[in-house]
Amino acid sequence: MGDSLSRLAAVAANTFRETVRERVLYNLVFFAIIMTLAGLLLGPLSIRQDEKVLKDIGLAAMDLFGTLIAIFIGVGLVSKEIERRSLYPLLVKPLSRGEFFLGKFTGLAFTLLVNVAVMTVGLYATLLATGRSADPLLLAAVYPILLGLLLVVALAMLFSTLTSSTLAAVFTVGVVIAGRFSDVVRNMQEVMPGTPRWLSGILYAVIPNFRNFDFKDRVTYGDPVPPEVLAWVTVYAAAYIAVVLGLGLASFRSRDFQ
Amino acid sequence: MEDHLPLVTRGLCKSYRVGHIRQSRRPALHDLDLEVREGEILGYVGPNGSGKTTTLKLLTGLLAPDRGEARFFGLPLADRAWRHRVGYLPEHPYLYDYLTPAEYLDYVGRLFGLAAGRRRDRTRELLALVGLEKAADVAMRRFSKGMVQRAGLAQALVNDPDLLLLDEPMSGLDPLGRRLVRKLILDLRREGKTVLFSTHILSDAETLCDRVAVLRAGRLVRVGALGEMLRLDVTHMEVLAVGPEAGLPLLEGEVGREAVGDRIRLEVEEEALGRVITGIESAGGRVLAVQPVRQSLEDYFYREMGGDRGGTAEEGPWETA
Repeated sequence: MGDSLSRLAAVAANTFRETVRERVLYNLVFFAIIMTLAGLLLGPLSIRQDEKVLKDIGLAAMDLFGTLIAIFIGVGLVSKEIERRSLYPLLVKPLSRGEFFLGKFTGLAFTLLVNVAVMTVGLYATLLATGRSADPLLLAAVYPILLGLLLVVALAMLFSTLTSSTLAAVFTVGVVIAGRFSDVVRNMQEVMPGTPRWLSGILYAVIPNFRNFDFKDRVTYGDPVPPEVLAWVTVYAAAYIAVVLGLGLASFRSRDFQ
Repeated sequence: MEDHLPLVTRGLCKSYRVGHIRQSRRPALHDLDLEVREGEILGYVGPNGSGKTTTLKLLTGLLAPDRGEARFFGLPLADRAWRHRVGYLPEHPYLYDYLTPAEYLDYVGRLFGLAAGRRRDRTRELLALVGLEKAADVAMRRFSKGMVQRAGLAQALVNDPDLLLLDEPMSGLDPLGRRLVRKLILDLRREGKTVLFSTHILSDAETLCDRVAVLRAGRLVRVGALGEMLRLDVTHMEVLAVGPEAGLPLLEGEVGREAVGDRIRLEVEEEALGRVITGIESAGGRVLAVQPVRQSLEDYFYREMGGDRGGTAEEGPWETA
């Protein structure tokens, strides 16, 4: 068990190093620019208005950049390794496919954690620099964003074990968009009258509801999020991530590398 | 199965699914029975597409066999313990190009559970062994193909393996790189290691191998020592001559001829050499050179196996250098 964890940690550490060297964290520069511009441009507005807009922009940017990284790095985590055959020499070492797969997930999860953490510090720094208070309530929106990003990574990895990285990206984007508009999926008959009810029912049940991770509006209006709600969201994310990663792992394990 | 042997395969089969709508299976390897003996260099030779890489991928778990089994040091493929005793270099290896070779070897060392100090020492040793010590801290994206191949060899040796599986190890190397790899393989044998390497370059197999396993269209057609497989005595004589302007008449004892510019190369039975030389001179020609010809591995494939510079339609050509 200890050996297995240390191999998984080695893969995770290398994945993190890859994302850093491939300049994935450069998105933080864009975030910094957006926050600086927002801080400067919102000066003429009243204190209450601009504070909400600033928080909105910060949280939305965090969510958007994180989702883009989770999708586009996530789909490449395994498929790029297969296409380039870089995993061949590694899988012949005492490294199981499971350790490799979960190590890749953990590595990108750590990258996203660092990314979100730095952006959160940036958001607080902007608030303080423009004379607002460092509202701890923001963390109640940041934490579910991170959970949602981990689920996106798991989905991207699942699709990348089944198809090419381009199609995997298309499918992942599709599921994320559908998951953010899950109400539309549930009531699909209203938009597309010919859709069978069973289809919308299955899609609504299977596609994760990404709205469950969205507390941005609530937090920016100063509405607190109870701990039990955050606990429920954690369980929801963990269950989905476990199932999606399990499916991805099963697909990866049974795959022939021709 | 013979548990003392580094590698034994029995009835190993693999086919690939082809087609999208009408799916069928294309056989890639048929009933492979192979034994690799301790301390030998076994050349696994065959044209491109004959099943060499498929075999190595089956052995290393990258492909699942349809049937059959393989054992490393008596351990079945499912037992991961053999992985500590085996090193593998894939064909055209791609190593993480954002890493330096030192970082990559350290990473591989971590996968083997080596302590930090041991990883550091092993990395230094291996980089010196493959001639990359000066490039230890250069990102591999700046490497030539030959340098990547050498780094690939180094990663196969991190665990000081007893058995090395090398898939086309000379591929893409310049003459100096080929020489280095050849020397490395021979040094490993001197240390008592066993090497199984696949190649379609016959001269490499001829230079290095104790035994050769010949694969053709997914079937193992022959395994044996080179001495057993080839007739090492003189098979015929080759005479290079300049003919008279009217052309050289057919000579008694001549078994073949080929024009090479303004010269003629004659294949001649050994016992008819004297008569042929006399015949050339009496026809007004001049003998430039005479040399005995021994059968090479290349000749073996071309003649004994009915190959005409190639295998089946699915197979690519052989290379001779």
